[in-house]
Amino acid sequence: MAFQIESVVGEQVARLTLHGELDSLSARVFQTEIEKIANQPIEALVLDMEDLSFMSSAGLRVLIYSKQKIGPKLAIYIVKPQELIVDTLTKTGLQHSVTIVDQYPV
Amino acid sequence: MMESKSFPGNVDSLDSLREYVGERAQQAGLAKKPTYALKLAVDEIATNIILYGYQEAGLEADFTVLSEITEQALIVILEDIAAPFDPLARELPDSGDLTKSLEDREIGGLGIYLTINGVDEFSYEYLNGKNRNKFVMKIAST
Repeated sequence: MAFQIESVVGEQVARLTLHGELDSLSARVFQTEIEKIANQPIEALVLDMEDLSFMSSAGLRVLIYSKQKIGPKLAIYIVKPQELIVDTLTKTGLQHSVTIVDQYPV
Repeated sequence: MMESKSFPGNVDSLDSLREYVGERAQQAGLAKKPTYALKLAVDEIATNIILYGYQEAGLEADFTVLSEITEQALIVILEDIAAPFDPLARELPDSGDLTKSLEDREIGGLGIYLTINGVDEFSYEYLNGKNRNKFVMKIAST
């Protein structure tokens, strides 16, 4: 399924909705969206992943990149990720650095 | 019987590669979770072949997926003609790396870590001028 991303950037919260499959091709699109918000005073990055059916390490690298680029105080919320994507986050220890939620605001 | 399918060595191929692996997994009767793990593993290794084996070396070439369904397993082999590269030779992230916070993370090694962790067997050989990355998913006996 083709990858799609929608961004809504508010004063402190950037909300990105991801659809389809996130691989090393589509991760470039995701990273471009992060770069666009990187110089804004964002406190929370909300990633809606309910419709994301696949994520490779290229997607994980963009998560790491987000924190490194925007700053350590950035809170990353992942909303409704599919079970297999939670497995990937867990296996790689990234679930400790993000907050997995059913909805946002929590 | 071994089935063979080739893909152009660029990242646009990853989508159709995963779809093809998904079809073979379905034919082999793999459940959802092992199917996803195999797609992820093949995607990760193919990405390395495309980005580092081919593009970084200025090489335009196809890579081939060989696959076979036996009674016990689905076997998938990725074959490419890039310079010899053994994914198992590089250092994998250890438990210390995996518990680091995001801001302290080094970006790299996660793909191969997920590959090895996701499939039942992973092996590499360089044979007749080709890298051969082999993935085995066991078929649960009924």
